[in-house]
Amino acid sequence: MIEVLWHGRGGQGAFTAARLLGAAASLNEGKYALAFPSFGPERRGAPMCAFTKMDDAPLGDRSAIKQADFVVYLDETLLGADWDKELKPGGVVLINSTKPSAAFGDKRIIALDADGISTEHLGRPIPNTVFLGALCAFCDRLEPIDVHAAIRLYMAPKLHDKNIAVVDAACALANQAANAFGEVGTQDNAEALGATEPAITAAPTQSVSAPSSHTPRPQSVICTLQTGELDPQQFAHTTCFSAGHLVTKNAGWRNERPVIDAGACTGCYQCYFYCPDGAIYKVPAQGTTTDAQSHAALRAPVAVDLDFCKGCGVCVSVCKFNALAMIQESEANGA
Amino acid sequence: MALNASTISDNELFFGHKACAGCGGSLAVRAALKVLGPHAIAALPAGCMSAVGFNFPQLSFANNAMITPFAATAAVLTGIEAGLRAQGKKPDDCTVVGFAGDGGTADIGLQALSGAIDRNDDVLYICYDNEAYMNTGIQKSSLTPFGAKTTTTPAGQHAHGCLTNKKNLFQIVAAHDITYAATASVGYLPDFVRKVERARDIHGTRFIHVMAPCPTGWGCAVDETVDIARDIVDTGLWYLAEFEGSAISGVCGGKFTLNRNPQTFASVEAYLKRQGRFRALDECEIAEIEAARDAAWEVMRASWC
Repeated sequence: MIEVLWHGRGGQGAFTAARLLGAAASLNEGKYALAFPSFGPERRGAPMCAFTKMDDAPLGDRSAIKQADFVVYLDETLLGADWDKELKPGGVVLINSTKPSAAFGDKRIIALDADGISTEHLGRPIPNTVFLGALCAFCDRLEPIDVHAAIRLYMAPKLHDKNIAVVDAACALANQAANAFGEVGTQDNAEALGATEPAITAAPTQSVSAPSSHTPRPQSVICTLQTGELDPQQFAHTTCFSAGHLVTKNAGWRNERPVIDAGACTGCYQCYFYCPDGAIYKVPAQGTTTDAQSHAALRAPVAVDLDFCKGCGVCVSVCKFNALAMIQESEANGA
Repeated sequence: MALNASTISDNELFFGHKACAGCGGSLAVRAALKVLGPHAIAALPAGCMSAVGFNFPQLSFANNAMITPFAATAAVLTGIEAGLRAQGKKPDDCTVVGFAGDGGTADIGLQALSGAIDRNDDVLYICYDNEAYMNTGIQKSSLTPFGAKTTTTPAGQHAHGCLTNKKNLFQIVAAHDITYAATASVGYLPDFVRKVERARDIHGTRFIHVMAPCPTGWGCAVDETVDIARDIVDTGLWYLAEFEGSAISGVCGGKFTLNRNPQTFASVEAYLKRQGRFRALDECEIAEIEAARDAAWEVMRASWC
């Protein structure tokens, strides 16, 4: 069985690609496939997964893929530190990036400028079908002709020609990368790569956020992140549990974050007022009035809760004093 | 004291939810609960706000909240309120509040809402209007405006979007001689917050219809939510008004008040063109929308001011 794990953000078409891949891989007699997304409440922009399983026998296991032959990242910011734990021995990571593959420092990671390829043919960066072409180059089970057929079967007619062009362009490009990679195939090159059998681990959790602001929120009633696991025994016997019980952050949704210019901020609190997520909060007054000036220079009257900011930018749009700006997450993390 | 950005409570009772970035509906729920406080009990039917708020074991409401059957928001509110009273568990600062979308209110939940108003149950019903069934993937509701593209009113060669006009929900509710009703927009949050505060302090059935843009369904950028929610009021395509029923106004049949009466309107064309859902509209249709707006305002200005 060949398994493909798709990482994308809601709206990027990861599930569409997973489904088209499954369709392409099951067109012929005696070929079977399953494709499904991770189920969750997450919306546009949120990290999500989709899965494709392909085999020569009917597939019964409908559970999520923990380790795959191919792991695809439609957005390179989703590549976490534990990426290799999701890879079977001999597996390959395909990632949407403008950087060269070598920049990732591991020969199992192959970079493709999927945004560039899709923009060239579709006029917009929709990276999903690029990786169908790329997988044709890396996976023996998959032929471009089958992917074309799947696109014709399951996409709207006006999208056929452009997406087929995307697949062909991506396939040609990926063939070069595949040749450079060495023996094409999935199971056999494990030894060549010197990969050892990694321990089976739990499904990766949401990528951990950047260090968040430590300024405390004002005393208030608020939904709070709970530490420690829920005891299934306890919750199996009751329908009640505490209101405001949070177990996950929303930090992974964000590609940009707001930064506050404390000098320009007048403390009008419009950003706090209009934030759909309550991710901006008032910084409680501290210190004496004598050093108020030095405080003002250091601290703005508001702070951003980076655990829950989704990076929508509404705060910037309502600020009349240009005291807020969005910066790229990569820039913020590099700083 | 009037509530504003400085004086409103620091409580975050709707927090950590999984709504899309820039969601107008989540802003409406968050702001309303800040006004109503932690003893408010919320009920939400199927819709975005229940889908993004309740995900076991993640519960993004810090006050008591529950999901209702789709059609039953107002009926469940009635039941919660009566149940609390019967058990002697209703503190003075407890508002029983419902948050339902436009489809859950104007289509599916209209009968239950009408029944609650008829009985004058002591509940607050807030309809966050994003002008289509967004939770299920953008299908037309009866509050979808003329010309808007949805998956069930696609833009084609002949029809460019929704063929019907937005149902006049505010006047339907007011026609019941409801105790208090208001319209609002998340773009003018101080006005919305004032209306929630007013509704909180009145007994009887109260209804607030708040415009809450959906970047995903409207086809605009995620940071435009608030600006577009102001624009819809400035263009005159939405209005900020209040209705006080005969019980509190003393006027037979109730009294309408227009809270904002612009001398000139902002450009309708610019408002429509900034959204993907109106992209297919031609000049004739835009003129039609403007004419309908002018006719509506003529009536409102003549009888509501």
